[in-house]
Amino acid sequence: MSVLQTSERARVAAVGRALPRLGRDWRLGYTLTLPVVVIILALIAYPFAYSVWLSLQDIKVGGQGTFVGLGNYAKILFDRNSQISGDFYNSVFVSFVYTGGALLGKFIIGMVSALILNAHIRARSFWRALLFLPWAIPGIVSAFSWKWIYNDVNGVLNTLLQNLGIIQSPILFLADPNLALWSVLLAVIWQGTPFWTMTFLAGLQAIPDELYEAAQIDGASTAQSFWYITLPNMATVIVVTAMLSAIWTSNAIQYVYILTNGGPANVTETFPILAYNYGVRSYDLGIGSTIPLIFLPVFAVLIYFLTRRMLRQGV
Amino acid sequence: MAEIAHPARPAISGRSTPVVGWLSRKNRGYYLVGYLLLLVLALWTVFPFYWQLATSLRSDVDLYSSSVTLFPQAFTLEHYGKILSASSTFSTQLKNSVIVSAATTIVAIVFGSMAGYALTRLRFFGRAALARTLIYAYLAPGTMLFIPLFVMMSSLGLRDNLFGLTLAYLTFTVPFATWMLMGYFRTLPVELEEAAMVDGASRWTILWRIVMPLSAPAIVVVAVFAFTLSWNEFLYALVLVQAQDKMTAAVGLAAYVIGDQYYWGQMMAAATIMSLPPLLLYLFGQRWVIAGWTAGAVKS
Repeated sequence: MSVLQTSERARVAAVGRALPRLGRDWRLGYTLTLPVVVIILALIAYPFAYSVWLSLQDIKVGGQGTFVGLGNYAKILFDRNSQISGDFYNSVFVSFVYTGGALLGKFIIGMVSALILNAHIRARSFWRALLFLPWAIPGIVSAFSWKWIYNDVNGVLNTLLQNLGIIQSPILFLADPNLALWSVLLAVIWQGTPFWTMTFLAGLQAIPDELYEAAQIDGASTAQSFWYITLPNMATVIVVTAMLSAIWTSNAIQYVYILTNGGPANVTETFPILAYNYGVRSYDLGIGSTIPLIFLPVFAVLIYFLTRRMLRQGV
Repeated sequence: MAEIAHPARPAISGRSTPVVGWLSRKNRGYYLVGYLLLLVLALWTVFPFYWQLATSLRSDVDLYSSSVTLFPQAFTLEHYGKILSASSTFSTQLKNSVIVSAATTIVAIVFGSMAGYALTRLRFFGRAALARTLIYAYLAPGTMLFIPLFVMMSSLGLRDNLFGLTLAYLTFTVPFATWMLMGYFRTLPVELEEAAMVDGASRWTILWRIVMPLSAPAIVVVAVFAFTLSWNEFLYALVLVQAQDKMTAAVGLAAYVIGDQYYWGQMMAAATIMSLPPLLLYLFGQRWVIAGWTAGAVKS
């Protein structure tokens, strides 16, 4: 760094004196970052602010908006007689079960997969490539495959269960209100597990061998080693993976959209689907933009902690 | 972050500690359970994809017969023929996906490397704030933005427009590419740049002649990710495009379902074609892709 600083110092003296507070390389720095700054401002910051502005209005697509202050928030959160309020609290519940269930499933399957893939097994790289496969398949494609598997007419799952004599008539996996959410969850878990397996595998490989050797000398069993060494050392990896996955899972729309489209009887209506149905399908932009904004604090907390961590790792 | 262009470290050491040795034959119980679990996991992982592929290759007679078989009884490519025929819009939609994903990737890489370099090597006011904002932008979910973007693109006349869709895709690919490239630039030895600077090279020259060529592997990885993210994107494409001939393949597929008729053979054929680009990129670039991914960087 020292040579760089010395050679730059002369330039700073010539160019930068006018604006020393902007830093040594302000000119080139701002030139190089300008496109990204413009994109952030025009395509992220402005739309976000605009979304807040929309949420303060009673506004339909193509119509004039009326300013209603926090009216939309109040209606959604507190007007228990309104349709939207009922739908909203339903979507809170559904999103919670959906995300929580997905995280739990991905954690268990991901951990088991990572432990097996990390062990001395035959053809390890083959198994690894195989178990990571769902990650490489577009979400929309796997949503389709699962829809076809669940189908009541000629769907392989129903045909199989019928041929085995377990059921007499087809199960409506996606149309039965008691089953639909669980059926969707299975597909979501299938697709999302490889991300967990990958990060867990990387985490397992980062645990120093010495810890296990010491435990072995002390006579710890395999299960004890896992419980007292593996798990505590994986805590950070698990938490970070869970936070990332929580953001992405709860906001992914394609599985529910394709498999059930929120039905039957709203039992799979997660909040992004609800926002889409109100904002885009029913043209109610005010309510539509308010729904995700109510969820924003939850994501803000997750994003805050993740950012702190990513910056500490990075810079 | 630092490891994005390097293959993951091999985990196997000579010693057999419980974490890698628990599936050894000595441990008979674990050995049996472990391999049984591996088999179950493999079946669970492969089956949906296998079934999609098998369905796409079955003739309709076979597909809708009452006794389903694991292997196709009557092979056919007719579903692929139909889906790619001139009367089908799917080939246009595939082309749209390629255009939008490629455009997004190029913009993200060019702007991302410029900003990434500035953020790692230059000193200027607001640098730390910008780095932080990029992560916020990258992690912020698309559900926060799709309605305002829908309204904005409508008033700009950019709905049903591939350019409008590309703009929307920049919201996630640009922060992502910048952040990934920053991580890589940081690992490059600064001495090279210092030497060039002593020889009188400008920062621009250094960026284009030294940093970019050295970063080629990282750029390829980030490009693969950016392309795949755009290729798979669903929400913005669903909201911003209604015209059949402007849809991306992802939404084109979905349009099949919303109709009354389900042509499963054709749909699975279309689904298989659509999963080919990411799948091939994954199979050929597996080592790098996984190393980059475990750097905690890509949306699932």
